[in-house]
Amino acid sequence: MTTEKNFKPEDSLKLINGIIHSAKNKLADDGFFLIFWGWLIIVCAMTQYFSVKFNFEWGSLVWAILPPLGGIFSWIYGAKQDKKKKVKTYVDTYIAYVWGGFLFAMILTLVFGYAHGLKATYFFLMLLYGVATFVTGGILNFKPLIFGSLFSFALAALSVFLGDLDQFLCISAALLLSYVIPGHMLRSKFKSQENV
Amino acid sequence: MFKELDPILHSQLRLAVVSLLVSVKEAEFTYLKEQTNSTAGNLSVQIQKLKEAGYIEVEKTFKDNYPQTLCKITKAGVHAFEKYVKDINEYLNQKNK
Repeated sequence: MTTEKNFKPEDSLKLINGIIHSAKNKLADDGFFLIFWGWLIIVCAMTQYFSVKFNFEWGSLVWAILPPLGGIFSWIYGAKQDKKKKVKTYVDTYIAYVWGGFLFAMILTLVFGYAHGLKATYFFLMLLYGVATFVTGGILNFKPLIFGSLFSFALAALSVFLGDLDQFLCISAALLLSYVIPGHMLRSKFKSQENV
Repeated sequence: MFKELDPILHSQLRLAVVSLLVSVKEAEFTYLKEQTNSTAGNLSVQIQKLKEAGYIEVEKTFKDNYPQTLCKITKAGVHAFEKYVKDINEYLNQKNK
């Protein structure tokens, strides 16, 4: 190792490059929330799909129960993870803003759906899924998330031509392809980098 | 004639700390220690020097009842780092001529 006394300008450039290169290639997200929310909303959508199909009245209640519980859990889990973090990066901040904006847009879209009928809302929900994962994929420089988001856009376009019931299948497919699968890939890449 | 390199930054450990801090928002002392493979004593001394030069801000807080030291680069630190990299590049360019 170079000692302080013979620390040459060539060494300092190598040191800077090494540190910045390793920071640049480090994945800042473990994909937990993508997997968690992906599965949670898939469970809600499929519960409603089957409850409508088999005339079970209370199926839609799942929307009033699981997402709020998921919100409380995410808040507690996020706060705990934040406490554990030894470093705060700009990437963390950008991602927090993307998903904060996504949450506001989501709530307003649901208000719109309440006033104008839910069918039109599914299109916008899938657009929002797509935009949030597309931008997150760009920030993290993680291509599976960017490709995954394209499925949400394509399924949003497809949903316009589908009936009410099929919207739930469409939403489930969008979440599986743009949240759950890229989320698992992100998580495995994050874990492999932790084990290095 | 070569420009004189900033003596505060032209030190292996201090440069490593500033290079780490330039790419993050803030970092704990323990993170810097792990990343630079340094001893707590040496790192404390170098952090103090960077703080005195106005290149970093140091905030001492408590986390779960344990003392926590947070380090953050200042505008002067970013400026000094950019100037240092520029000076090094100029030095290497002149040397290779």
